[in-house]
Amino acid sequence: MKLRKKVAVVTGGCGGIGRAICERLMSEGARVYAADLSQQGSFTDAATGGTYMQLDVTSEESVIAMMDEIKSIDGKLDILINAAGIEIEKTIEETTLGEWNRSFAVNVTGTFLTCKYALPLLRNAVTDTISASIINFGSYDGFIADPGLAAYCASKGAVHALTKAMACDHGPEGIRVNAICPGYIDTPMLQSFFNGEGSGGDGGDIESLQQAVRDVHPMRTYGTPEDVANLVNWLASDEARYASGQLWVLDGGLSAQVQQMKL
Amino acid sequence: MKSSANKVAIVTGGGRGIGLSIVERLLDDGYQVLSCGRSERPDAMPAKVCWLQADVSKAGDAKNIVERAEAELGPVILLVNNAGVQVEKTVEQSSDEDWDLVVGVNCRGVFNMSRACLPSMQKRTGNIINIGSISGNVSDPSMALYNASKAFVHGLTRSIAVDHGPNVRCNAIQPGWIMTAMADDAFALANNPEAAKKDALSRHPVGRFGKPSDIADLVSFLASDQSHYISGECITIDGGMTAASPLQPGLF
Repeated sequence: MKLRKKVAVVTGGCGGIGRAICERLMSEGARVYAADLSQQGSFTDAATGGTYMQLDVTSEESVIAMMDEIKSIDGKLDILINAAGIEIEKTIEETTLGEWNRSFAVNVTGTFLTCKYALPLLRNAVTDTISASIINFGSYDGFIADPGLAAYCASKGAVHALTKAMACDHGPEGIRVNAICPGYIDTPMLQSFFNGEGSGGDGGDIESLQQAVRDVHPMRTYGTPEDVANLVNWLASDEARYASGQLWVLDGGLSAQVQQMKL
Repeated sequence: MKSSANKVAIVTGGGRGIGLSIVERLLDDGYQVLSCGRSERPDAMPAKVCWLQADVSKAGDAKNIVERAEAELGPVILLVNNAGVQVEKTVEQSSDEDWDLVVGVNCRGVFNMSRACLPSMQKRTGNIINIGSISGNVSDPSMALYNASKAFVHGLTRSIAVDHGPNVRCNAIQPGWIMTAMADDAFALANNPEAAKKDALSRHPVGRFGKPSDIADLVSFLASDQSHYISGECITIDGGMTAASPLQPGLF
Protein backbone atom coordinates (compact mmCIF):
# COMPACT_ATOMS: atom_id res chain seq x y z
CA MET A 1 0.00 0.00 0.00
CA LYS A 2 2.28 2.74 -1.29
CA LEU A 3 -0.34 5.49 -1.48
CA ARG A 4 -2.19 5.34 1.82
CA LYS A 5 -3.91 8.63 2.74
CA LYS A 6 -3.07 10.19 -0.61
CA VAL A 7 -5.71 11.94 -2.70
CA ALA A 8 -5.50 11.50 -6.47
CA VAL A 9 -7.29 12.82 -9.53
CA VAL A 10 -7.10 10.85 -12.77
CA THR A 11 -8.40 12.70 -15.83
CA GLY A 12 -9.63 10.42 -18.56
CA GLY A 13 -10.23 8.18 -15.57
CA CYS A 14 -12.90 6.09 -17.30
CA GLY A 15 -10.81 5.47 -20.43
CA GLY A 16 -8.63 2.47 -21.30
CA ILE A 17 -5.49 3.51 -19.47
CA GLY A 18 -7.23 5.81 -16.97
CA ARG A 19 -9.41 3.06 -15.58
CA ALA A 20 -6.41 0.79 -14.93
CA ILE A 21 -4.66 3.67 -13.18
CA CYS A 22 -7.68 4.34 -10.94
CA GLU A 23 -7.95 0.71 -9.93
CA ARG A 24 -4.25 0.48 -9.17
CA LEU A 25 -4.13 3.67 -7.12
CA MET A 26 -7.14 2.55 -5.12
CA SER A 27 -5.57 -0.84 -4.46
CA GLU A 28 -2.54 1.04 -3.10
CA GLY A 29 -4.73 2.88 -0.62
CA ALA A 30 -5.29 6.20 -2.39
CA ARG A 31 -8.55 8.10 -2.43
CA VAL A 32 -9.21 8.44 -6.16
CA TYR A 33 -11.33 10.76 -8.23
CA ALA A 34 -11.97 9.38 -11.69
CA ALA A 35 -12.62 12.47 -13.77
CA ASP A 36 -14.05 12.09 -17.25
CA LEU A 37 -16.61 13.46 -19.67
CA SER A 38 -19.00 10.65 -18.85
CA GLN A 39 -19.13 7.64 -16.58
CA GLN A 40 -18.67 4.77 -18.97
CA GLY A 41 -18.94 1.03 -18.46
CA SER A 42 -18.85 -0.72 -15.13
CA PHE A 43 -16.88 1.80 -13.14
CA THR A 44 -18.80 2.28 -9.91
CA ASP A 45 -18.09 4.15 -6.70
CA ALA A 46 -19.27 1.42 -4.42
CA ALA A 47 -17.22 -1.42 -5.90
CA THR A 48 -13.92 0.38 -5.96
CA GLY A 49 -14.07 3.16 -3.42
CA GLY A 50 -13.37 5.73 -6.09
CA THR A 51 -15.44 8.77 -6.88
CA TYR A 52 -16.59 9.73 -10.33
CA MET A 53 -16.26 13.40 -11.23
CA GLN A 54 -17.80 14.89 -14.32
CA LEU A 55 -15.02 16.87 -16.00
CA ASP A 56 -14.34 18.53 -19.32
CA VAL A 57 -10.60 19.26 -19.23
CA THR A 58 -10.96 21.85 -21.99
CA SER A 59 -13.33 23.96 -19.86
CA GLU A 60 -11.80 26.31 -17.30
CA GLU A 61 -15.11 26.44 -15.39
CA SER A 62 -15.34 22.66 -15.26
CA VAL A 63 -11.76 22.30 -13.98
CA ILE A 64 -12.24 25.03 -11.35
CA ALA A 65 -15.49 23.45 -10.19
CA MET A 66 -13.86 20.05 -9.74
CA MET A 67 -10.89 21.44 -7.82
CA ASP A 68 -13.26 23.45 -5.61
CA GLU A 69 -15.17 20.33 -4.79
CA ILE A 70 -12.02 18.38 -3.93
CA LYS A 71 -10.87 21.31 -1.80
CA SER A 72 -14.09 21.25 0.18
CA ILE A 73 -13.93 17.49 0.70
CA ASP A 74 -10.23 16.78 1.15
CA GLY A 75 -8.53 20.16 1.40
CA LYS A 76 -5.54 18.85 -0.57
CA LEU A 77 -4.44 16.88 -3.61
CA ASP A 78 -1.34 14.64 -3.60
CA ILE A 79 -1.45 13.22 -7.10
CA LEU A 80 -2.70 14.64 -10.41
CA ILE A 81 -2.68 12.32 -13.39
CA ASN A 82 -3.50 13.82 -16.77
CA ALA A 83 -4.55 10.76 -18.74
CA ALA A 84 -7.28 12.43 -20.80
CA GLY A 85 -6.28 12.50 -24.45
CA ILE A 86 -7.59 12.23 -27.97
CA GLU A 87 -6.01 11.13 -31.23
CA ILE A 88 -6.91 12.44 -34.68
CA GLU A 89 -5.70 9.96 -37.31
CA LYS A 90 -4.81 12.34 -40.12
CA THR A 91 -1.97 14.14 -41.82
CA ILE A 92 -1.93 17.94 -41.44
CA GLU A 93 -3.39 18.32 -44.91
CA GLU A 94 -6.41 16.26 -43.93
CA THR A 95 -6.76 17.82 -40.48
CA THR A 96 -9.28 20.63 -40.17
CA LEU A 97 -8.53 23.63 -37.99
CA GLY A 98 -11.34 22.46 -35.72
CA GLU A 99 -9.73 19.01 -35.30
CA TRP A 100 -6.34 20.58 -34.69
CA ASN A 101 -7.76 22.90 -32.04
CA ARG A 102 -9.67 20.04 -30.45
CA SER A 103 -6.45 17.95 -30.21
CA PHE A 104 -4.60 20.77 -28.51
CA ALA A 105 -7.59 21.69 -26.34
CA VAL A 106 -7.76 18.22 -24.81
CA ASN A 107 -4.13 17.10 -24.85
CA VAL A 108 -2.32 20.37 -24.11
CA THR A 109 -4.79 22.96 -22.79
CA GLY A 110 -6.45 20.28 -20.67
CA THR A 111 -3.12 19.46 -19.05
CA PHE A 112 -2.42 23.16 -18.55
CA LEU A 113 -5.80 23.83 -16.92
CA THR A 114 -5.83 20.91 -14.51
CA CYS A 115 -2.26 21.63 -13.43
CA LYS A 116 -2.94 25.35 -13.05
CA TYR A 117 -5.93 24.88 -10.78
CA ALA A 118 -4.52 21.87 -8.93
CA LEU A 119 -1.42 23.76 -7.79
CA PRO A 120 -2.96 25.32 -4.64
CA LEU A 121 -4.28 21.90 -3.60
CA LEU A 122 -1.00 20.18 -4.42
CA ARG A 123 0.87 22.71 -2.24
CA ASN A 124 -1.46 21.79 0.63
CA ALA A 125 -0.28 18.18 0.34
CA VAL A 126 3.43 19.01 0.48
CA THR A 127 5.31 18.61 3.75
CA ASP A 128 9.01 18.75 4.60
CA THR A 129 9.39 15.10 3.64
CA ILE A 130 6.50 14.43 1.25
CA SER A 131 6.19 15.81 -2.26
CA ALA A 132 3.17 16.08 -4.51
CA SER A 133 3.24 14.46 -7.94
CA ILE A 134 1.88 15.49 -11.33
CA ILE A 135 2.01 12.81 -14.00
CA ASN A 136 1.25 13.92 -17.54
CA PHE A 137 0.69 11.74 -20.56
CA GLY A 138 3.09 12.32 -23.39
CA SER A 139 3.76 9.64 -25.97
CA TYR A 140 6.67 8.06 -27.76
CA ASP A 141 5.00 9.83 -30.70
CA GLY A 142 6.27 13.06 -29.15
CA PHE A 143 9.79 11.89 -30.06
CA ILE A 144 9.32 9.97 -33.31
CA ALA A 145 6.33 10.09 -35.60
CA ASP A 146 3.74 7.52 -36.55
CA PRO A 147 2.33 8.21 -40.01
CA GLY A 148 -1.01 9.99 -40.19
CA LEU A 149 -1.00 11.27 -36.60
CA ALA A 150 0.37 14.77 -37.06
CA ALA A 151 -1.72 16.76 -34.57
CA TYR A 152 -1.36 14.01 -31.98
CA CYS A 153 2.44 13.88 -32.36
CA ALA A 154 2.67 17.66 -32.08
CA SER A 155 0.38 17.87 -29.05
CA LYS A 156 2.37 15.22 -27.22
CA GLY A 157 5.62 17.05 -27.96
CA ALA A 158 4.02 20.09 -26.34
CA VAL A 159 3.13 18.04 -23.26
CA HIS A 160 6.76 16.92 -22.98
CA ALA A 161 8.05 20.48 -22.97
CA LEU A 162 5.32 21.63 -20.58
CA THR A 163 6.28 18.81 -18.22
CA LYS A 164 9.87 20.00 -18.02
CA ALA A 165 8.82 23.62 -17.66
CA MET A 166 6.50 22.87 -14.74
CA ALA A 167 9.12 20.67 -13.08
CA CYS A 168 11.50 23.65 -13.13
CA ASP A 169 8.92 26.13 -11.88
CA HIS A 170 7.29 24.08 -9.15
CA GLY A 171 10.10 21.79 -7.98
CA PRO A 172 11.09 24.34 -5.33
CA GLU A 173 7.57 24.04 -3.90
CA GLY A 174 7.89 20.28 -3.51
CA ILE A 175 5.86 19.40 -6.57
CA ARG A 176 7.28 16.80 -8.91
CA VAL A 177 6.22 16.74 -12.55
CA ASN A 178 6.87 13.82 -14.89
CA ALA A 179 5.40 12.51 -18.12
CA ILE A 180 4.83 8.93 -19.15
CA CYS A 181 5.35 8.35 -22.87
CA PRO A 182 3.64 5.10 -23.79
CA GLY A 183 4.27 3.23 -27.00
CA TYR A 184 1.74 0.69 -28.21
CA ILE A 185 -0.69 -0.03 -25.36
CA ASP A 186 -3.69 -2.27 -25.91
CA THR A 187 -6.55 0.22 -25.61
CA PRO A 188 -9.59 1.23 -27.65
CA MET A 189 -7.43 4.05 -29.06
CA LEU A 190 -4.90 1.53 -30.38
CA GLN A 191 -7.60 -0.64 -31.93
CA SER A 192 -8.97 2.45 -33.63
CA PHE A 193 -5.49 3.17 -35.00
CA PHE A 194 -5.18 -0.40 -36.32
CA ASN A 195 -8.51 -0.05 -38.09
CA GLY A 196 -7.75 3.42 -39.44
CA GLU A 197 -7.03 4.11 -43.06
CA GLY A 198 -3.66 5.64 -42.34
CA SER A 199 -2.39 2.54 -40.59
CA GLY A 200 -2.71 0.19 -43.55
CA GLY A 201 -4.98 -2.05 -41.50
CA ASP A 202 -7.60 -3.36 -43.90
CA GLY A 203 -9.89 -4.60 -41.14
CA GLY A 204 -9.87 -8.06 -42.72
CA ASP A 205 -6.79 -9.51 -41.10
CA ILE A 206 -6.42 -7.54 -37.93
CA GLU A 207 -4.86 -10.40 -35.96
CA SER A 208 -1.97 -10.94 -38.37
CA LEU A 209 -1.39 -7.19 -38.41
CA GLN A 210 -1.34 -7.15 -34.63
CA GLN A 211 1.07 -10.09 -34.52
CA ALA A 212 3.38 -8.32 -36.95
CA VAL A 213 3.28 -5.26 -34.72
CA ARG A 214 4.07 -7.34 -31.63
CA ASP A 215 7.00 -8.94 -33.45
CA VAL A 216 8.65 -5.58 -34.12
CA HIS A 217 8.90 -4.94 -30.39
CA PRO A 218 12.03 -6.24 -28.65
CA MET A 219 9.68 -7.58 -25.92
CA ARG A 220 7.55 -9.18 -28.68
CA THR A 221 4.31 -7.78 -27.30
CA TYR A 222 2.63 -4.48 -26.83
CA GLY A 223 1.80 -3.12 -23.45
CA THR A 224 -1.29 -3.30 -21.28
CA PRO A 225 -2.97 -0.49 -19.33
CA GLU A 226 -1.73 -2.29 -16.20
CA ASP A 227 1.88 -1.84 -17.38
CA VAL A 228 1.25 1.89 -17.50
CA ALA A 229 -0.47 1.82 -14.12
CA ASN A 230 2.62 0.18 -12.61
CA LEU A 231 4.77 3.13 -13.63
CA VAL A 232 2.13 5.65 -12.55
CA ASN A 233 2.00 3.98 -9.16
CA TRP A 234 5.75 4.31 -8.70
CA LEU A 235 5.96 7.89 -9.93
CA ALA A 236 3.05 8.84 -7.67
CA SER A 237 4.64 7.22 -4.63
CA ASP A 238 7.15 8.64 -2.18
CA GLU A 239 9.72 6.18 -3.52
CA ALA A 240 9.97 8.43 -6.58
CA ARG A 241 10.70 11.53 -4.48
CA TYR A 242 13.81 12.41 -6.51
CA ALA A 243 12.22 11.78 -9.93
CA SER A 244 11.10 14.96 -11.66
CA GLY A 245 11.12 16.64 -15.05
CA GLN A 246 11.56 13.38 -16.89
CA LEU A 247 9.88 11.79 -19.88
CA TRP A 248 9.44 8.10 -19.10
CA VAL A 249 9.21 6.12 -22.31
CA LEU A 250 7.31 2.86 -21.82
CA ASP A 251 7.29 0.98 -25.11
CA GLY A 252 8.75 -2.51 -24.73
CA GLY A 253 12.01 -1.32 -26.25
CA LEU A 254 10.38 -0.28 -29.52
CA SER A 255 12.11 3.07 -29.86
CA ALA A 256 15.52 1.71 -28.86
CA GLN A 257 15.79 0.29 -32.34
CA VAL A 258 16.62 1.56 -35.74
CA GLN A 259 13.81 1.04 -38.27
CA GLN A 260 13.18 -2.68 -38.42
CA MET A 261 13.44 -3.72 -42.04
CA LYS A 262 11.64 -6.90 -43.12
CA LEU A 263 14.59 -9.27 -43.20
CA MET B 1 33.74 27.28 -53.17
CA LYS B 2 37.37 27.68 -54.22
CA SER B 3 39.85 29.37 -51.94
CA SER B 4 43.44 30.35 -52.42
CA ALA B 5 44.28 30.14 -48.71
CA ASN B 6 46.33 27.14 -47.69
CA LYS B 7 43.71 24.87 -46.19
CA VAL B 8 44.95 21.44 -45.15
CA ALA B 9 42.65 18.55 -44.30
CA ILE B 10 43.15 14.98 -43.16
CA VAL B 11 40.45 12.45 -44.04
CA THR B 12 40.95 9.02 -42.48
CA GLY B 13 39.66 6.01 -44.36
CA GLY B 14 39.37 8.03 -47.56
CA GLY B 15 40.00 5.13 -49.91
CA ARG B 16 36.39 4.34 -50.79
CA GLY B 17 32.73 4.95 -50.09
CA ILE B 18 31.87 7.92 -47.89
CA GLY B 19 35.52 8.71 -47.22
CA LEU B 20 36.43 8.98 -50.90
CA SER B 21 33.44 11.20 -51.53
CA ILE B 22 34.55 13.49 -48.68
CA VAL B 23 38.08 13.63 -50.11
CA GLU B 24 36.76 14.63 -53.53
CA ARG B 25 34.47 17.28 -52.08
CA LEU B 26 37.22 18.84 -49.96
CA LEU B 27 39.51 19.01 -53.02
CA ASP B 28 36.68 20.81 -54.77
CA ASP B 29 36.40 23.19 -51.82
CA GLY B 30 40.07 24.10 -52.22
CA TYR B 31 41.64 21.95 -49.52
CA GLN B 32 44.92 20.16 -49.77
CA VAL B 33 44.10 16.67 -48.58
CA LEU B 34 46.02 13.88 -46.97
CA SER B 35 44.16 10.62 -46.65
CA CYS B 36 45.06 7.29 -45.16
CA GLY B 37 43.90 3.72 -44.92
CA ARG B 38 45.13 0.29 -44.03
CA SER B 39 45.55 -0.62 -47.70
CA GLU B 40 47.86 0.69 -50.40
CA ARG B 41 46.90 3.78 -52.35
CA PRO B 42 43.59 3.01 -54.10
CA ASP B 43 43.48 3.42 -57.89
CA ALA B 44 40.50 5.78 -57.58
CA MET B 45 42.42 8.22 -55.38
CA PRO B 46 42.81 11.60 -57.13
CA ALA B 47 46.46 12.38 -57.96
CA LYS B 48 46.47 15.57 -55.87
CA VAL B 49 45.79 13.63 -52.68
CA CYS B 50 48.68 12.66 -50.45
CA TRP B 51 48.07 9.02 -49.44
CA LEU B 52 49.58 7.24 -46.49
CA GLN B 53 49.17 3.58 -45.65
CA ALA B 54 48.49 3.66 -41.93
CA ASP B 55 46.31 2.24 -39.16
CA VAL B 56 44.62 4.90 -37.03
CA SER B 57 44.11 2.41 -34.22
CA LYS B 58 47.86 2.66 -33.59
CA ALA B 59 48.95 5.84 -31.80
CA GLY B 60 52.31 5.85 -33.61
CA ASP B 61 50.62 5.69 -37.00
CA ALA B 62 48.25 8.53 -36.05
CA LYS B 63 51.17 10.73 -34.99
CA ASN B 64 52.94 9.88 -38.23
CA ILE B 65 49.87 10.80 -40.32
CA VAL B 66 49.67 14.26 -38.75
CA GLU B 67 53.42 14.85 -39.03
CA ARG B 68 53.40 13.88 -42.72
CA ALA B 69 50.47 16.19 -43.43
CA GLU B 70 52.15 19.13 -41.68
CA ALA B 71 55.51 18.47 -43.37
CA GLU B 72 54.12 18.08 -46.88
CA LEU B 73 51.08 20.34 -46.88
CA GLY B 74 51.19 22.64 -43.84
CA PRO B 75 49.26 23.06 -40.57
CA VAL B 76 46.16 20.85 -40.44
CA ILE B 77 42.97 22.87 -39.90
CA LEU B 78 40.48 20.12 -40.65
CA LEU B 79 40.38 16.53 -39.45
CA VAL B 80 37.64 14.22 -40.69
CA ASN B 81 37.58 11.02 -38.67
CA ASN B 82 35.84 8.82 -41.18
CA ALA B 83 37.68 5.49 -40.84
CA GLY B 84 35.35 2.86 -39.43
CA VAL B 85 34.69 -0.86 -39.42
CA GLN B 86 31.69 -2.96 -38.48
CA VAL B 87 31.27 -6.52 -37.28
CA GLU B 88 27.79 -7.98 -37.64
CA LYS B 89 27.43 -9.81 -34.33
CA THR B 90 25.63 -9.68 -30.98
CA VAL B 91 27.59 -9.35 -27.73
CA GLU B 92 27.35 -13.09 -27.18
CA GLN B 93 28.85 -13.84 -30.59
CA SER B 94 31.64 -11.24 -30.46
CA SER B 95 35.22 -12.37 -29.88
CA ASP B 96 38.10 -10.49 -28.28
CA GLU B 97 39.47 -9.95 -31.78
CA ASP B 98 36.16 -8.37 -32.87
CA TRP B 99 36.36 -6.01 -29.89
CA ASP B 100 39.96 -5.05 -30.68
CA LEU B 101 39.11 -4.39 -34.32
CA VAL B 102 35.90 -2.36 -33.84
CA VAL B 103 36.94 -0.47 -30.72
CA GLY B 104 40.47 -0.08 -32.10
CA VAL B 105 39.46 1.64 -35.32
CA ASN B 106 36.16 3.32 -34.41
CA CYS B 107 37.00 4.51 -30.90
CA ARG B 108 40.74 4.52 -30.41
CA GLY B 109 41.28 5.71 -33.98
CA VAL B 110 39.18 8.83 -33.42
CA PHE B 111 40.91 9.41 -30.10
CA ASN B 112 44.42 8.90 -31.56
CA MET B 113 43.86 11.21 -34.51
CA SER B 114 42.16 13.93 -32.49
CA ARG B 115 44.87 13.88 -29.83
CA ALA B 116 47.58 14.11 -32.48
CA CYS B 117 45.91 17.09 -34.22
CA LEU B 118 44.73 19.13 -31.24
CA PRO B 119 47.99 20.77 -30.04
CA SER B 120 48.53 22.52 -33.36
CA MET B 121 44.82 23.23 -33.90
CA GLN B 122 44.48 24.85 -30.47
CA LYS B 123 47.31 27.27 -31.25
CA ARG B 124 45.74 28.39 -34.52
CA THR B 125 42.33 27.17 -35.49
CA GLY B 126 40.89 23.74 -36.12
CA ASN B 127 37.84 21.77 -36.95
CA ILE B 128 37.22 18.10 -36.23
CA ILE B 129 34.35 16.26 -37.89
CA ASN B 130 33.68 12.74 -36.72
CA ILE B 131 31.56 10.21 -38.55
CA GLY B 132 29.22 8.68 -36.00
CA SER B 133 26.02 6.86 -36.88
CA ILE B 134 22.31 6.78 -36.13
CA SER B 135 23.20 3.34 -34.75
CA GLY B 136 24.89 5.09 -31.84
CA ASN B 137 21.47 6.37 -30.76
CA VAL B 138 19.17 3.53 -31.73
CA SER B 139 20.36 -0.02 -32.19
CA ASP B 140 20.77 -2.00 -35.35
CA PRO B 141 20.28 -5.68 -34.51
CA SER B 142 23.41 -7.84 -34.44
CA MET B 143 25.76 -4.86 -34.59
CA ALA B 144 26.45 -4.56 -30.87
CA LEU B 145 30.07 -3.41 -30.88
CA TYR B 146 29.54 -1.10 -33.87
CA ASN B 147 26.50 0.54 -32.22
CA ALA B 148 28.43 1.04 -28.99
CA SER B 149 31.53 2.34 -30.76
CA LYS B 150 29.49 5.02 -32.52
CA ALA B 151 27.91 6.12 -29.23
CA PHE B 152 31.50 6.56 -27.99
CA VAL B 153 32.20 8.79 -31.00
CA HIS B 154 29.19 10.96 -30.15
CA GLY B 155 30.30 11.32 -26.54
CA LEU B 156 33.90 12.13 -27.49
CA THR B 157 32.63 14.71 -29.99
CA ARG B 158 30.89 16.66 -27.23
CA SER B 159 33.92 16.37 -24.95
CA ILE B 160 36.33 17.71 -27.56
CA ALA B 161 33.97 20.60 -28.31
CA VAL B 162 33.66 21.44 -24.62
CA ASP B 163 37.33 21.05 -23.72
CA HIS B 164 39.03 22.53 -26.78
CA GLY B 165 36.97 25.54 -27.78
CA PRO B 166 37.19 28.37 -28.67
CA ASN B 167 39.83 27.66 -31.28
CA VAL B 168 38.61 24.19 -32.13
CA ARG B 169 35.12 23.19 -33.20
CA CYS B 170 34.08 19.56 -33.14
CA ASN B 171 30.90 17.97 -34.53
CA ALA B 172 29.75 14.53 -35.55
CA ILE B 173 27.68 13.40 -38.49
CA GLN B 174 25.24 10.54 -37.93
CA PRO B 175 24.52 8.94 -41.29
CA GLY B 176 21.62 6.59 -41.80
CA TRP B 177 21.56 4.12 -44.68
CA ILE B 178 24.16 5.25 -47.18
CA MET B 179 24.57 2.97 -50.15
CA THR B 180 28.13 1.77 -49.82
CA ALA B 181 29.71 -1.66 -49.81
CA MET B 182 29.12 -1.67 -46.03
CA ALA B 183 25.35 -1.17 -46.49
CA ASP B 184 25.25 -3.92 -49.11
CA ASP B 185 26.86 -6.25 -46.58
CA ALA B 186 24.00 -5.49 -44.20
CA PHE B 187 21.37 -6.32 -46.81
CA ALA B 188 23.21 -9.53 -47.62
CA LEU B 189 22.23 -10.69 -44.12
CA ALA B 190 18.56 -10.65 -45.15
CA ASN B 191 16.58 -13.75 -46.11
CA ASN B 192 15.49 -11.97 -49.25
CA PRO B 193 17.94 -9.14 -49.97
CA GLU B 194 15.82 -7.61 -52.75
CA ALA B 195 12.63 -7.54 -50.67
CA ALA B 196 14.60 -6.20 -47.74
CA LYS B 197 15.94 -3.38 -49.87
CA LYS B 198 12.46 -2.47 -51.12
CA ASP B 199 11.09 -2.46 -47.59
CA ALA B 200 13.99 -0.37 -46.34
CA LEU B 201 13.43 2.16 -49.09
CA SER B 202 9.79 2.64 -48.14
CA ARG B 203 10.89 3.67 -44.65
CA HIS B 204 12.71 6.73 -45.97
CA PRO B 205 10.50 9.83 -46.16
CA VAL B 206 12.72 11.28 -48.92
CA GLY B 207 12.17 8.14 -51.00
CA ARG B 208 15.77 7.11 -51.54
CA PHE B 209 18.83 5.84 -49.72
CA GLY B 210 21.68 8.19 -48.98
CA LYS B 211 24.62 8.67 -51.28
CA PRO B 212 28.19 9.19 -50.07
CA SER B 213 28.01 12.68 -51.57
CA ASP B 214 25.13 13.54 -49.18
CA ILE B 215 27.58 13.07 -46.30
CA ALA B 216 30.31 14.95 -48.16
CA ASP B 217 27.90 17.88 -48.59
CA LEU B 218 27.39 18.06 -44.84
CA VAL B 219 31.13 17.74 -44.17
CA SER B 220 31.66 20.66 -46.52
CA PHE B 221 29.11 22.75 -44.62
CA LEU B 222 30.47 21.83 -41.18
CA ALA B 223 33.99 22.63 -42.41
CA SER B 224 32.93 26.04 -43.69
CA ASP B 225 32.45 29.38 -41.95
CA GLN B 226 28.73 28.99 -42.60
CA SER B 227 28.64 26.68 -39.57
CA HIS B 228 30.74 28.98 -37.37
CA TYR B 229 28.48 28.64 -34.32
CA ILE B 230 27.86 24.90 -34.56
CA SER B 231 29.99 22.89 -32.14
CA GLY B 232 29.44 19.80 -30.02
CA GLU B 233 26.54 18.65 -32.16
CA CYS B 234 25.77 15.20 -33.51
CA ILE B 235 23.80 15.79 -36.67
CA THR B 236 21.60 13.11 -38.18
CA ILE B 237 21.45 12.78 -41.97
CA ASP B 238 19.23 9.86 -42.82
CA GLY B 239 16.51 11.00 -45.24
CA GLY B 240 14.06 11.25 -42.33
CA MET B 241 14.21 7.59 -41.38
CA THR B 242 14.72 7.98 -37.62
CA ALA B 243 12.07 10.71 -37.44
CA ALA B 244 9.52 7.94 -37.96
CA SER B 245 8.59 5.23 -35.53
CA PRO B 246 10.37 1.91 -36.21
CA LEU B 247 6.90 0.42 -36.28
CA GLN B 248 4.86 1.42 -39.30
CA PRO B 249 1.78 -0.78 -39.60
CA GLY B 250 1.22 0.49 -43.13
CA LEU B 251 4.25 -1.51 -44.25
CA PHE B 252 2.94 -4.87 -43.08
